[in-house]
Amino acid sequence: MSARPERAQHDALTSVLGGLAAEEPGAPEGERRFVLEAQGLARAAAALGAAGGHFAGLFGCGPEPSAVVAVVAFRGELVELRGRLDGERAYPSLAAATPAALLPERELHDTTGLVPLGHPELEPLLRPDADRPQRRVAGPQTFLIPYGPIRSGVVEAMQFPIETGGEDVLAFGVRPFFKHRGLERRFAGMSLDHGAYLAERVAGPEAVAHARACARAAERAAGATVPPRAERWRLVHAELERIAAHLDTGAKLAEDAALSVGAARLGALKEEVMRLRARLCGNRFGRGVVVPGGIRNEPLLVPAEVAAALDALEADLRRDRRLLLGTASFVDRLVGSGTLAAETVTRFGGVGPVARACSLGIDARLERPYGSYPRLGFRIARATAGDAMARWEVRLQEIDQSLHLIRQALESLDRLPPELRVPVAGSGEAYGWVEAPSGELVYRLRIEGSTVAEARIVPPALRNWPLLSESFRGDVLTDVAFVEHSFNLSPAGSDR
Amino acid sequence: MLEWLVRGLRHGVLTTGYPRETEPAPAGFRGRVAVTRAEGGSAALERLCPTGAIRVRSGRVLLDRGRCVLCGACVEQAPERFAFVADYETATRSRAALVVGDVGTPAPARPALGDRRWTLRRSIFIRHVDAGSDGAEEWEIQALANPYYDLQRLGLFFTASPRHADVLLVTGGVTSPLREPLRRTYELMPEPKAVVAVGSDACSGGFAAATGEVAGGVDQVLPVDVYVPGSPPAPVAILHGLLLAAGVVTGEAPA
Repeated sequence: MSARPERAQHDALTSVLGGLAAEEPGAPEGERRFVLEAQGLARAAAALGAAGGHFAGLFGCGPEPSAVVAVVAFRGELVELRGRLDGERAYPSLAAATPAALLPERELHDTTGLVPLGHPELEPLLRPDADRPQRRVAGPQTFLIPYGPIRSGVVEAMQFPIETGGEDVLAFGVRPFFKHRGLERRFAGMSLDHGAYLAERVAGPEAVAHARACARAAERAAGATVPPRAERWRLVHAELERIAAHLDTGAKLAEDAALSVGAARLGALKEEVMRLRARLCGNRFGRGVVVPGGIRNEPLLVPAEVAAALDALEADLRRDRRLLLGTASFVDRLVGSGTLAAETVTRFGGVGPVARACSLGIDARLERPYGSYPRLGFRIARATAGDAMARWEVRLQEIDQSLHLIRQALESLDRLPPELRVPVAGSGEAYGWVEAPSGELVYRLRIEGSTVAEARIVPPALRNWPLLSESFRGDVLTDVAFVEHSFNLSPAGSDR
Repeated sequence: MLEWLVRGLRHGVLTTGYPRETEPAPAGFRGRVAVTRAEGGSAALERLCPTGAIRVRSGRVLLDRGRCVLCGACVEQAPERFAFVADYETATRSRAALVVGDVGTPAPARPALGDRRWTLRRSIFIRHVDAGSDGAEEWEIQALANPYYDLQRLGLFFTASPRHADVLLVTGGVTSPLREPLRRTYELMPEPKAVVAVGSDACSGGFAAATGEVAGGVDQVLPVDVYVPGSPPAPVAILHGLLLAAGVVTGEAPA
């Protein structure tokens, strides 16, 4: 992990932030902390953005809170900008220069009352009223479809206020936070183990990613090193989760295209992955595996059984995908739908398959490698077109890479010592990041002894919601399902 | 399209025979937690559970499966008292029946849909509403449509319109912005109707019950006919709950 030129990076980061913020020493490897007055936060974040930084998130820290924290990924490190409030209840908004801060600033305003001065649209975000969606386009020939929060099909609650002139989508609004459960607050005072159990229930389809990000934050804060065998099994569970999520996307897209056999086939493959996970750990979502310090038990299957199941899955999937990509009624609906430019993705801090489908090399597993990833080989999945088809192609490539990663991890297990878990306790704060199926997920934990004192989550869905809005450029109403499912974001994760 | 037809036929029948045949859960499956020794418990056992599912009343250990999120903390810390059971059929027709080890008599449940109108046994339409779940329950309900479970073979169909629905499947502990949309959906449904709470969050609010952001279970807002605990309940468990609500099966979860 330390092969990169640390010295040169140090210079790059400090020269960008020189005079704007003071570095605080003592951060664990891979993250850097800078302290400044909240007045200067917008300038510092903009400077990092101009130098190639990728904005991740913004939240309040400490009681009341005492600081506004902005997190920016910059050249292989996670940079924390902590803007001290010094009793002030307002700070200059970051959103004008950094649109990625639009949603987090509104959330912070709703939860704490802190005012981002100059925010372009400081509407309430939490506790949305389903009957009062905002209109963005006014015109005599237009009307609004308040699609949601209860929508057709078995889907999560979310509202998309769609403005249309009849067929074309003039504006596609995104209203999350119908499912806000206050879970970040719930972490405070829990033991680290209980915190991980809560983390894996923040967003079900990304349960392993949440548990792992939470556990990693605790481990980094306490300076604990996870045994390599546990890291290998964590990787297996995380990549199985990715395969399941991508197959889920495929099944939904096939259903949107009225391709019932295709949907049934991909649904059956997803079910096989879920069953494999259940046989491996007793839970279909990989819950109860990751604990701070390692994993809880040796899995219920031996590596050879997992490998055999994956071989069968891969052979099946190969035929289905060849058929799927040769079916014009499927491909035609995806090509050119919901197209995004790379520049837009960067501006809004987009992550995951959405970013990689615009040829951006954004993947936490490579940017800031963690766990077993530095030891195993894989390629970043990328496409160039930025449309729904490109996102689906990225997911297909990622399934291949995940299978490749799992096989490598399984092969190396024989040579590793049997230790699965180390104790985690200490005091301090740290970030834990993982590449969840829908993009990078970041936890920030402050721990005291073996309890969580404060937890903050930067979920990938919150970073990608604005891009779903932005991706509607000349699309029509019947494209909505395809575009939405090509993003496949979980409101449970963003709403928390 | 012909290729798709061949592709579909090639795999033969994948579908489970449930409920005609029993569907065994895989070995080690964490279907529910059983109290293997209820007597002589100390109050310290209550602290093992992050969601307050364990209660000790005059030395007797009670476990509320409606609150249990199957994290296994108790099984790990007190294996002499708690154990996972590899079982799918976890649904009950009253909230009280979810509390294992309780000696009181459970409140009488409402008659199942099929008993209220027998024609409903043949074909039942389901409307799902998410009232603040973690998203896992939606995956498991969607899975009921895949070839392994094939809900339609039992005469169960999803419908978009609540006006056509007989059963309301609700996930999540009911957040405040979703309370009114949920209530309205219920009111639009014709009588007789049944409500099935899917998942421990829907039964009790789960982890979120303590944050004040959720009502603390669907039964705080609507009358609930069947509770399907689990985090999340497996597809067969949800199917069990649906069939229990319809009156097609009558066997509830064992204590």
